[in-house]
Parts: sequence; C-alpha cells; structure tokens
Amino acid sequence: MTTTSIRTAPPSHAQTYLRALGRFSVLPPFVIVAIACIVLAPNFLSSSNVANMLINGSITAIIAYGMTIVIALRGLDLSVGSLQGLSACLTAVAYSVFGTGLGIAAGLAIGLAVGVVNGVLVAYLRVPSFVATLGMLGILRGVALLVTNGQTIQGGSSFLNYVVNGRVVGVPIPFLLALALLGVWLVVFYYTPFGRHVVAVGGSPEAASDSGIRVRRTTVIAFALSGLSAGVGGVLLMGQLSNVTGDLGTGLELQVIAIAVLGGTSLAGGNGNLIGTLVASLLLAMIDSALNLLNVPSFYQYLAIGLLLVAALSLDSVRARVSRRLVQNS
Amino acid sequence: MSTTQMTGSASVAPSTAPEGERPRKRIALVSRVGRYYLQIAVFVMLVVFCIVVPDFGSTGNLAAVATQASYGGIIACGMTLLIAGGLFDLSVAGVVAIAAVITGLALPHTSIGIAVLIGLATGTLLGWINGLIITKIALPPFIATYGLFNIYTGVAFIILNGNVLTIQSVYFNQIGTAAVFGVPVVFLVFIVACFVSQLLLNRTRFGRRLRAVGSSETAARMAGIPVDRVKIIAFAVTGLFTGLAAIFLAALLSSASGTMATGIELNAITIAVVGGTSLRGGQGTLLGTFTGAVFLVSLNTALNLIGVSSYWQNVAIGLVLVLTLVIGALTRRDKIRGAD
Repeated sequence: MTTTSIRTAPPSHAQTYLRALGRFSVLPPFVIVAIACIVLAPNFLSSSNVANMLINGSITAIIAYGMTIVIALRGLDLSVGSLQGLSACLTAVAYSVFGTGLGIAAGLAIGLAVGVVNGVLVAYLRVPSFVATLGMLGILRGVALLVTNGQTIQGGSSFLNYVVNGRVVGVPIPFLLALALLGVWLVVFYYTPFGRHVVAVGGSPEAASDSGIRVRRTTVIAFALSGLSAGVGGVLLMGQLSNVTGDLGTGLELQVIAIAVLGGTSLAGGNGNLIGTLVASLLLAMIDSALNLLNVPSFYQYLAIGLLLVAALSLDSVRARVSRRLVQNS
Repeated sequence: MSTTQMTGSASVAPSTAPEGERPRKRIALVSRVGRYYLQIAVFVMLVVFCIVVPDFGSTGNLAAVATQASYGGIIACGMTLLIAGGLFDLSVAGVVAIAAVITGLALPHTSIGIAVLIGLATGTLLGWINGLIITKIALPPFIATYGLFNIYTGVAFIILNGNVLTIQSVYFNQIGTAAVFGVPVVFLVFIVACFVSQLLLNRTRFGRRLRAVGSSETAARMAGIPVDRVKIIAFAVTGLFTGLAAIFLAALLSSASGTMATGIELNAITIAVVGGTSLRGGQGTLLGTFTGAVFLVSLNTALNLIGVSSYWQNVAIGLVLVLTLVIGALTRRDKIRGAD
C-alpha cells in the first residue's frame, strides 16, 4: 500500500526515508508497544516497575552489544547464556571466599577467558562459530552446575547488590552502565581500526584478508569482547539476584541473537546496529513486565516474542525489497 | 552460516579450498581412513563400553540407548537435509509440542491410526508453513524459525491452558515401548528415516537440487532450479520427521506439553554436525547422523552407569562436539575463514 505512494515520490527522498526506516526499524514497534503497555497495564509507569524494566533490559543489552559485534563479523556466539550463568556463579563463590573485588574479577575473568577460547576455536582451529560455541554452551552449563553442585548459592554481596539496585538521580545504575558501554562500543565500532576491521571481515573475509586485515586477530578480539560482555552480564545478574543457581541464563543466547536482529543487525554480517540493540532489549523487557502486570500466564510471552520477531523481520524484508526495486528503477 | 546464503552473497562464501599445493602425508592418510573414522571410533567405543562398563551390554540397556538415540535422531535426519540445503530449523521443539498435543487431543475421539496420521499431518503442515514463511517473505531461516519456535510453543501452551495433557490411551502409549524381536520400534523407524533421507538426498532430483541450493543459492537460481519449492519441500519433510518423533515421544511420556522437547533443536543439530554434515551446506551424511545419535546417547548412558554426575555429561558432550569439529577442521585445508 505504501509502495505506490513511495514510488511516486522522488527516488532519492524515498531511498533516504527507507534507509532511515531500516536503520531504526525497531523504533515503530517500540513506540507502539510502549503506548499499548502504558494504556493497558496498570502501574506500568510506577517508578519501581520502570526501574525493574531498565535493570532487566540493561543487563540483556550489555550482553547483546557483544553479540552484535560478533554478528557484524558474520559469526554467532551461542555460549553467552551459559557463560552469564557461570560468571554469576563464580562471582558468588569467589565473593564468599575472597570478597567483593576478587568476586567481580572472577566473573569478568571467566568471561574474557571463555571468549578468547571461542575466538581461538573459530579463528585458528577453523571451527564454524555456530557449532564451536554450541559445544561451549554445553561445557559451560556443565561447569556452572558443577561449581554450584546443583544447589542455590547465597551470593549476597551487599556492595554489588547496592550498586545494581542503586540509583543515581533516580536512574538505575545498570541503565547508566548500559548507556556508558553503548558510548564505548560506538566509539570502538565507528572510530577505531578494530571496528572497521570487524565490518570488513563480516562483509567478506577474503577481501578483508587481501586488504591486509588480520582476520584471525580481529575474530579473537571480537569473541573475547563478547565473552567479557557476558561476564559483565553475569556479575550484574548476581548483584541483582543475590542468590544464584547453575541454570541461570538458560536459553539467553537465542534471545540475545533475536534482540540484535530486532535492533537491525543483519545475520549476513558486515553491519551492526548497537543503538538498535539497546532499544530492542528494552522492548523485550517492556513486554515481559507488561504481561506480568496484566497477570497474563507466562507462556503468552512465547507467543508475544515470536509474533514480534516474525512481524519485525517481515516488515524489514518488505522494506528491503521495496528499497531494492527503487534502486533498480532509478 | 546458512543465513548468509539468503542474501545472495553466497557466491563469495569460502567453500573447500583447492587441493593443497603441498599435501601432507598425515592428512592424506587421515582423509582416507577419515571416510569412516567416526563409524570405526563409535564401534570401538561401544565394544569397550560393553566390556568395561557394568550393565552397558545388557539387552535392556542397549534397548534404552537405541530408544533414546531415536527421538533426536529422527529429527536430525530432517535437520541433515536442511543443513545440506544451507537451511536451519530451530522451531522443531515447538512443532513436536503442537503435533503431540493435537495427537493427544484427537486420541479420545478417534482410532489410534487416525490420531497418528493427524499428528504426522500437523508436523508436515507446520514444516510447510516454516518453508513458506522463509521463502515467500524471504526471512533468514535461523532467526525466523526461532521466532516460529516461540509462536508454536506459545500456541501449544495456550491450547492446553498451560497444563500438561495426560494421554490415557494404553494402546497408544505402548507405541513408545513397543519392540520387534527386542529392537525398539522407534529405533527401527529411525533407521528407516535415515535410509529414506539418504535416498532423498543422494538419489533423487530433489536431493540434487537441495544440495545445489546449499552449495550456492545464486548459482542454483541461475541454473533454473526452483529454489523456493526445493526449500519448502525440505522444511515439510523435516516437519514430517518431527511429527513422527513427537508421536513416539508423547507415547513414551504418556503426555504432551509445551516444553516436552525443549532443546531438541540444538540436540538435532549437534547430532548432524558430530556425524560430519558441514554447516556450510551442499552435503550431508545420514550414516554420520545415525552414528552421531548413537554416539552421543551411548556416551551419556555410559557416564550415567559409571555414576558420573549428570553435570559432567554436559561437559563431555560439549567437548566431544568441539573435538570432532577441530579434528574435522584440521583435516581440511582452506585458506581464509571468517567467523561463520
């Protein structure tokens, strides 16, 4: 229906418009869902609910930033869910033995270490990232369950708890952290050689290699950063929950990939939309909390996420097709 | 990854490298034995388990291993076809749930045969819908089928209002444990599924076209292959196999629910990949898929029998997957690889 009206418009305008729409394709669903939630869900805008949403959305977003970079590299990291769980468990265990500082360090270190292993598997041992990280998913989940021995661990680091649930000028600290990290990632992605290399390798590994880019090193760094992001997510999760179990983060990997794609990052590689990733994380957190407030049985969340994903992808596909036709016509 | 092929940039994706200029002796040997190294290794492993692990060789245990290998295995047959075509289906756990729920709901009203047919038809229909959505709307299969997994799981829950459906029919539930000369029926079905898929993939026009699409979609399209139709059929066949697995699983559990098969999609992919089907598309081995399914389940069972904590089994299977891949990768000689 919009096709005809767009086609009569000057092509250059239409193309710019469509490109902008593609760049921010997550915004229309975000706004629609936000309005629907505010109208339908009681107490949706209460300060505690907003804070909760922001904390949940921010922790996911921090992990999803790393995934966005890996996807931009035309890879996937399926280990992040298990890694977040393992990192949270190690933080809890190390905290109770060595104190807060080393607890946090342990959580971050395991993230970074696993990320490097993933990167080496993919870059140097040439295992496709999907299955390499699928293997790590199983290994890390097993280790997390072994560390906790299947029990709940009372992590209760009061400092971490305080930070994760604390606010500065009314804004939850995890959200500020997510914004700060977004800034860091944007600088890394758009203003450093590494960021350009990621895009180049994701677009075409052969061309990147022929241009003198060190493909393997770029790959290892990207996976290391994704692992580190999952580590940060684990530490924050432990701060949020205080009690941890070995099965934390189960299934998160696919959800995070879905968030990155919803945010406008293509699985074909060569691009990454970090701002979209943050918005999409908040969008899913919003849906979660609204369904909770409305007392809808939790299994409706499956339906909501599925429909949102398929609808958003379909719109994007239609947009891409229209855009292509315009290019061909002009 | 398979999704790259949706964009039409598949032509630049690295395939296997040209024959190495300096072929190494060790690698030449490995690739010669390599054709059946997994089968040999698994056979040796089974023999060792039978001797070393107490009770592993008992008829009861072997039947249990065969049964457990079959659910993921039957779905992995379809997954092998899809992967060979450069495709993916992450929705199978949801398809299992819906097919099982509908079979369970139909049972009190009709004969077992009709209920089973309804279950198979449901699976095929959902697979066909998957294929339709992915080809006609042109969505990347990985993320689209993840969305569909959520939708199917949600629908299965909604049909049952969040409850578990108990299947009362004793005769239907016997399907789950039935055996012919001590061999579980579900295992026989698994073997048949492997044969059928093998023939489909390597002996039919459909299979040849599917492999062509998996190698290079752009080239396949230019060669005049009806790419969309080939993909839709592959998804529908996977749906049929998934429906088959759903019926046996529902019969074994005497129940159906939204989460009855959680994680089976990654399990099926693991089986196919451990069996030697490359995620880069263009080829698939059903003998490998069969071996992979038996391998993973016997390893799990053996660890169980020695009394190793089930947590270690996650670690073991992950390690097996990574090691298999590293061995496979080291015997390949391609120059440049991205992260896909």
